[in-house]
Amino acid sequence: MKFLVCLKQVPDSTVRVKVAADGKSIATDGITWSISPYDEYAIELALEHKDGDPSTTVSVVTVGPARSRDALRQALAMGCDDATLVTAADTVGGLDVAKALAAVVKEAKPDVVLCGKQASDDDQGLVGPALAEALGWPHVGMLTKIAAVADGVELWREIEGGHEVWTAPTPVVGLVHKSAKEPRYPSLPGIMKAKKKEIPEKDLAALGVTPGAPRAEVVAMEPPPQRGGGKILKADGDVKALAAELARLLHEEAKVL
Amino acid sequence: MSPPTQGIWAIVLLVLTIAAAAVFGYRVLGLYRLLRLGRDESRVDQPWRRLRDEIVVYLGQRKLLKRPYYIRGVGHALIFWGFLVITWGSADLLLRGIVGWQLPFTDTAAYAWILDIFAVAVLVSVVVAVFRRAVLRPPRMHRVPEGYVILTLIGFLMLTLLVFESAAIAATRDELGQLLRVFPPVAAALAPLISTAAGPAIFAGAWWAHVVTILAFAVYLPRTKHLHIVTTLPNVFFRSSRPRGALQLIDDIENKETFGAANVRDFSWKQLLDGYTCTECGRCSDNCPALATGKTLDPQKIVLDIRDQLLREGPKLLADAKAETTAPAHWVATKPDELWACTTCAACVEACPVTIEHIDKIVDMRRSLTLMEGAAPPEAQRAMTNIERAGNPWGEARATRGDWAEGLGIPTFAEKPDAEYLYFVGCAASYDRRNQRVARALASILKSAGVSFAILGAAETCNGDPARRMGNEYLFQLQAQQNIETLNAAAVKKVITSCPHCFNTIANEYPQLGGNYEVVHALPLVKKLLAEKKLTLTGGAAAEIVAYHDPCYLGRHNGIYDAPRDVLDAVPGVTRAEIAPHNRERGFCCGAGGGRMWMEEKMGQRVNHRRVDQLLATKSGATKVASGCPYCLIMLEEGVGAKGVQESIKPVDVLELVAARLETS
Repeated sequence: MKFLVCLKQVPDSTVRVKVAADGKSIATDGITWSISPYDEYAIELALEHKDGDPSTTVSVVTVGPARSRDALRQALAMGCDDATLVTAADTVGGLDVAKALAAVVKEAKPDVVLCGKQASDDDQGLVGPALAEALGWPHVGMLTKIAAVADGVELWREIEGGHEVWTAPTPVVGLVHKSAKEPRYPSLPGIMKAKKKEIPEKDLAALGVTPGAPRAEVVAMEPPPQRGGGKILKADGDVKALAAELARLLHEEAKVL
Repeated sequence: MSPPTQGIWAIVLLVLTIAAAAVFGYRVLGLYRLLRLGRDESRVDQPWRRLRDEIVVYLGQRKLLKRPYYIRGVGHALIFWGFLVITWGSADLLLRGIVGWQLPFTDTAAYAWILDIFAVAVLVSVVVAVFRRAVLRPPRMHRVPEGYVILTLIGFLMLTLLVFESAAIAATRDELGQLLRVFPPVAAALAPLISTAAGPAIFAGAWWAHVVTILAFAVYLPRTKHLHIVTTLPNVFFRSSRPRGALQLIDDIENKETFGAANVRDFSWKQLLDGYTCTECGRCSDNCPALATGKTLDPQKIVLDIRDQLLREGPKLLADAKAETTAPAHWVATKPDELWACTTCAACVEACPVTIEHIDKIVDMRRSLTLMEGAAPPEAQRAMTNIERAGNPWGEARATRGDWAEGLGIPTFAEKPDAEYLYFVGCAASYDRRNQRVARALASILKSAGVSFAILGAAETCNGDPARRMGNEYLFQLQAQQNIETLNAAAVKKVITSCPHCFNTIANEYPQLGGNYEVVHALPLVKKLLAEKKLTLTGGAAAEIVAYHDPCYLGRHNGIYDAPRDVLDAVPGVTRAEIAPHNRERGFCCGAGGGRMWMEEKMGQRVNHRRVDQLLATKSGATKVASGCPYCLIMLEEGVGAKGVQESIKPVDVLELVAARLETS
């Protein structure tokens, strides 16, 4: 089976994000970038399939600025076979990204396309469904497991309190949720091999995509307000008075009672 | 008396000796060839130190004479020294019997006395050893029939020696009557039991029995664990010259294709020699905190499994250089849990009488799991990913590393480039709230003593210790190189650490990558500042009893046992208590070393809970337990909490006790 995993490079979850001087974006100097966590789970899902069936191939693709190459290298180090970088400015919107990915998919002809269910930076969850729409393929969301069956694939979806098992004909787009199996840690030979691999680069024009005007605009960004310190009531005296004081504070200051 | 090898008998003895020597030589050569299957490793630097080790460790039996093995150690030392004396006599017997040459001293009364006394001492030791095996049955000892065979052979050698010596005295009683007093006491005491007439025959019989037993021993030896009497000699000589706390560097890592040890070929010849040398005494296992708390890790088993696999598969591998070989048995059979249970506390290395290097083997196998297969436990992978991405195993934001120092007026090196010392804070004291208090305590001490220091702030990154000990040598080297570049760019000469792991790694491991600094842990430094009267402490706080817990990476790995105790003793109002017998070189690990801090502990009792049990069992009346390590502090905090004794005994860092008594000006 042929997998294609679409990934996005995002600020690492350990980064303390700061608003940039323009007040509309984040400051990117000196921050660590990594593969968006759900995309990592998507890679793991495909690689697990490859572990079981060595004839499987797993390709990765991303649409983003030149630094996204590092995210592709990380995916190659984990064990993916090949990678494609579609260079595009950070500001290119989700629909255009989906169109560019669709052009790559049409060329690569995978059986299964996997995306994380959403990217951890803007949390829009747009690209996956938009890609399925652009391709005219079915898509199934919240996947935690995928297995090959006679006439397609069996897809396990997480739902409240359990899971559903769907079957779909290939080709299909799957949107991957966090699963029990943590994304694998690359082996050192894997890292070294990934360093030497060629990563072909394409631009939007070559894929026939002309970025349209943004359909959404960030007007302003601000950090969440600082949390104030808690208040500790000393339990050294009259318990009844303490309870009364607590009730008063909850009513008058916190206004929750 | 002259040896009973007149005429043809000298030829018989010659033939027997040549045959025994040939079998011995053939077997040793076989073992040597198997050893050569191992990876190359140079172990010949510092020859004088190596010779000194031979005198202290081999001849002096230094590593046998340790708590709690003093009596057994003395027993072994007697057998060993007896063996040396008697071997000289045995060589003399063979030489005299075959060609009539006599070795120096063997004809002196003094030598006869020494031989006599040692023969009895060895006999007594053999009886005690048999009693231990058969009746006392120490739990960790491998009781195999081989042990009895060897003890019987040794005992028989001593008995025949005494009998032929007595018979010689009996046979020559008349002519030497007045010289009786110079005869060795035991043989002389036994002599009257033998008639003068029977003397020569008994002498000849016992003499031949003795000599044949020596030859049989030589033939049997290479097949047994008793080979250690030979292999300890090279094993001590070739022992690692690295500081104990330093793991082996993988040189030129970017251009290598295989890493760590996945099978016997991947271990170095010295690690294989360790297997030949293991006496199966079980002291390593006896002292292992993982085994003691119910984990599957057994350090002795690791050494023996590697040896057994070498003996089993080695001949096949010698015949066919490409032959497949399996991973060591413990790895496959019981899963890598054993390897991941190790805290690298070095209790095994400390306890081993024959300088076996257990940690290197375990880390080499972890290297294979982590680097070759990416197969570390998920929590360990998470910690490594965090180090990669955030520069600390907890995954806290890189940019906030220096936040603990906010408002304390502590300069960074960028702000104070001429600072004498760099305080390398480490991840724990930078991010862990409890340990941030220790960092602040040290900062206030340094300020009070007028020490010129600065920190790196956000430019500092994890020293790499957890990654290296989880087998991720590559990540360690990346972290180390990054810190070395930062330190060199800031022209740092002297480094203070409050974390023993930072101390060990920067002092003992960074030199492998070209980072050479004068590194001091805070406690020896505070001791010095107190001695120089740069620090004065006041007795404001109430009197208290404080137990001291030895961090493995201060104590066993770096020999710093006294400085923390001296500092505690210098704190007004503090009376120090020991967590005996698990203190100093027998200190029991907190459970967090070797990357274990970030791994779950599901098997058996938690190591830190056992440590708190030991602490409480001393009934010292201590209201605090002090350490000098952030990991120990976290583990002890968790331990007293889990045992519900957090109100009566509080874990602290020694630095906090000092800081609380600083003279405020």
